Amino acid sequence: MKTRRHKSDLVILFATLGLMALGLIVIYAIGPMRANVLNSTYGTDYASNYFFLGQLRSVILSLAAFFVAFKLVPYKYIKKFAKPLIIVALAMSVLLWLFSATGSSLAKCELGQCRWFNFGIVSFQPAEFLKLALVIYLADFLARKKEEGTIGKWREFWLPLLIVCGASLGLVVVAQGDLGTGVALMAIIFGTLLMSGISMQQYLLMLIITVVVAVGAVVVSPHRMERIDAWVATLSGGESSDSTYHVDNAMLAIGVGGFFGVGVGNSVQATGYLPESINDSVFAIMGETFGFVGLFLIIAVFAALLLRMLKVAEGTSDLSDRLLIVGVFSWTLAQVVVNIMAMTGLVPVTGITLPLLSYGGTSMIFIAFAIGLVLQLSCYTSREVKENENISSRRGVGGTHHSSRRRRS
Amino acid sequence: MPRNKILKTVVLLSLGVIVVRLFFIQIIEHDSWVAKADEQHTILETLTARRGEIYMMDKGEPTAVVLNQTTYQIVIDPTVTIKEDAEKVLEEYAKKYQVVNLDEIYDTEGLRYSIIAKNIPREVAEKVAESGIPAIWLKRTNQRVYPEGELASGLLGFVNAEGKGQYGVEGSLNTLLAGKDGLLKTTADVNKVALSIGNDNIKIPAEDGKNVVLSVDRGLEKGIEELAVKAIEDTVATNASVLVMDPNTSKVIAMANLPNYDPNNYTSVEDASLFVNYTLEVPYEPASICKSFTYSAALNEGVMTPDTTYFNNHAEVVDGWTIENASKHDFLYGSIDMRTALYWSLNTGSIYALKLLGGDASSINQQGREKLFDYYYNKFRLGQITGIELYEAEGYIPDPNEGWGRDSTYANMTFGQNLSITMLQTATAFSAVVNGGTYRTPTIVEGIYENGELKKGTDVEITEEQILSEETSSTMRDLLIHNRDYLVRAGIDKPGYAVGGKSGTAQVVKDGTYDDTFAELIGSYIGFVGPEGELPKYVIMVKMWGEGRSVGSDDALGLFGNVSNYIINYFKIKPKE
Repeated sequence: MKTRRHKSDLVILFATLGLMALGLIVIYAIGPMRANVLNSTYGTDYASNYFFLGQLRSVILSLAAFFVAFKLVPYKYIKKFAKPLIIVALAMSVLLWLFSATGSSLAKCELGQCRWFNFGIVSFQPAEFLKLALVIYLADFLARKKEEGTIGKWREFWLPLLIVCGASLGLVVVAQGDLGTGVALMAIIFGTLLMSGISMQQYLLMLIITVVVAVGAVVVSPHRMERIDAWVATLSGGESSDSTYHVDNAMLAIGVGGFFGVGVGNSVQATGYLPESINDSVFAIMGETFGFVGLFLIIAVFAALLLRMLKVAEGTSDLSDRLLIVGVFSWTLAQVVVNIMAMTGLVPVTGITLPLLSYGGTSMIFIAFAIGLVLQLSCYTSREVKENENISSRRGVGGTHHSSRRRRS
Repeated sequence: MPRNKILKTVVLLSLGVIVVRLFFIQIIEHDSWVAKADEQHTILETLTARRGEIYMMDKGEPTAVVLNQTTYQIVIDPTVTIKEDAEKVLEEYAKKYQVVNLDEIYDTEGLRYSIIAKNIPREVAEKVAESGIPAIWLKRTNQRVYPEGELASGLLGFVNAEGKGQYGVEGSLNTLLAGKDGLLKTTADVNKVALSIGNDNIKIPAEDGKNVVLSVDRGLEKGIEELAVKAIEDTVATNASVLVMDPNTSKVIAMANLPNYDPNNYTSVEDASLFVNYTLEVPYEPASICKSFTYSAALNEGVMTPDTTYFNNHAEVVDGWTIENASKHDFLYGSIDMRTALYWSLNTGSIYALKLLGGDASSINQQGREKLFDYYYNKFRLGQITGIELYEAEGYIPDPNEGWGRDSTYANMTFGQNLSITMLQTATAFSAVVNGGTYRTPTIVEGIYENGELKKGTDVEITEEQILSEETSSTMRDLLIHNRDYLVRAGIDKPGYAVGGKSGTAQVVKDGTYDDTFAELIGSYIGFVGPEGELPKYVIMVKMWGEGRSVGSDDALGLFGNVSNYIINYFKIKPKE
């Protein structure tokens, strides 16, 4: 099927920009409180606008990444580097692990988990890059295997897939102790796998095996079991304890918000009661600030973003394009759902950011880049052409030129 | 189902679950979360009222004798404060104020806010604050300081660890001194710092306590206490109380109870009797001092003059009891006048006055008892609360018409036994005897010190009543001055001054009866001092005693003489030219 370039998907564009702007507003309101809490508790010396400026910088860099992915770098070029990208990403995680194992100051650790490279004023989280690289790699790998007809075969398909996915998960979950990113990686893997054309029997078998392994990994780890216990305690309304403190206070913030919220700048939970108030817990602060109405709108925006991604994916004719979009979709969906469900006590707290809203540079930059790629691909859907018949006036001018761009490779 | 439909379903299902969950938390459970949030976010803080200071007069100017000092405590939270930081703060600034072992605090499971150092002065606290070491908090506390040390401790009292005044002025005027604590209810951040967020923040400011100025003169109090300490050293007495009052205003000028204690360090006092203000909290029998009151009654009723004579038999039998005189000199036997009887403190003389009050010179009767009761209880207000600003005991005057042996009881009462009255009651009544006959409610509060200004006045309701005629009072002064003729001759009372007084030696009641072995005696003396020919300026009452000690009235008389001469010098009372 031939497609021609048309206008990008405006829902994805405005949802992305809107969420970034909202995140900036909320950080503007609660950033000073965060600085104050850190200063008085740990004796740090953060200026009151420190976090707002940090978020502003992240948003600017993310917008740049977003437009680079959207307008400047065609996906088909990026796709050619799928293998080197995943190798670099995995190598970076290995390097980080080596740094942390040798106690190098280049590894930045918090609470015993080393997830960041430390380059003086800038820090960088390789797991975020790994997510993007894995999406690109899987989109390319699965599409190629499908075309080659080797999909589902042990040696040609499962073996390399298991090596790459296993290495990614192992480095992130075990070496970096980052269960949240692990969940996102799983979502990316199973999301793209589902759409790759693999047989349902193999897919379900793989899913079951993974679930069993995952449950086993949780049960043998006392640290993870503690989180499960805390979660069960929260669900059953049991006694508060240190381990339920985070989710108790997240739910308290959300509950206090009521229907319309307490208004911007009036959050009390952000004044130190709620841990991670500006990053992982920002949804709860938004619940306190904007109430049910506000959260409903935010979820509606995410729903629109996600559903539009699916629609764009449906409209793409190229499998690799579609898998890339589904990968980004799965990544976004996993982070949104796991983050919000953790904040509302529906799943255990894992430590995962809310895309585009949470404070944090690396995660926002990479997901913005990924969504930028989706937006780029949204210009080449077949369905869009049907819906936007008015572009027919442009056919005579540049039709051949545009369509020539989109050849099957 | 097409596979993209599966993903679509996952999106709608998971987000749908979240929306339902949010509806549940934010709409249905909203009120209970708000209640929990209030509990977590609201701090209730007592705004401590500043306790009023206590002043004495010093030659007419108020001067502070009880002060507040702001000190600080270092507070840590072992779950937040790094142990090394806490150690550093103590090591560098506050080692000598440390009150606990840090290891204990850090080893105790579940321990949160803990005071690790106390009584830190402001300069040190400021250094700690400037050091910028995180998660170290300073808590301000108020400490009561008694810069004069032991001075007037029995009068002043102290403030206990809970900030409540105990004994003395601190105890009895606690409400006035304490003021009223305020209340702060506010939304606070996790470090308990108040936020401007929230609509139901309440702030009721504290009402500071009043600075109380006592009419007691600091310099005089100090001088008298030194004299009393010396008197205790020089005699067998272990205790001495001295009360000085202006008889014309009934203001207390000095109120000493020796030995003193240090109210700065009240916890180390083992004998709680040191806290007692004997001048008004412990009634006793001042003995022959009361002859002044019996004489005043008889003179005022016009049934007797100093020249009235009676037959002194050295003893008198009433209700089968023999009451003897202490002085049984031969020259006193036979017909003597009342002036002489008072000079020699003859019990037969005061009993004769009681008979005269009854209108029958040969025996004690109901009219006599009732008259004496009327003077003692209703006019002199003995055995009654005086109404002074301090804690005081009531005492007791027996009923003239009830009980067995009423005549002997009243015979004893004429010379100050079988009753129970305080030094303050005695001195106030004695003031009326010598000041021209007016009874005035005694006071010890001169006023309130505010913004560097003394606002005079007291909350006490002042009773003022002419209970004796001017003439009676004048006669009594002459009699009391006559009592000290020999002391003028001895050079103790200086010429040009009018000093009068009456001694009293009380037997102590042991197991319900008077101890006739005289193993323990209480010596008392009451008198006045002023320029000759003028109304007395000061009434002085002295009491000296000791458990199992035989303290004579001569000991009290000696201390009185020292005090009266000290007062003359201290206030520079000019003698009659």
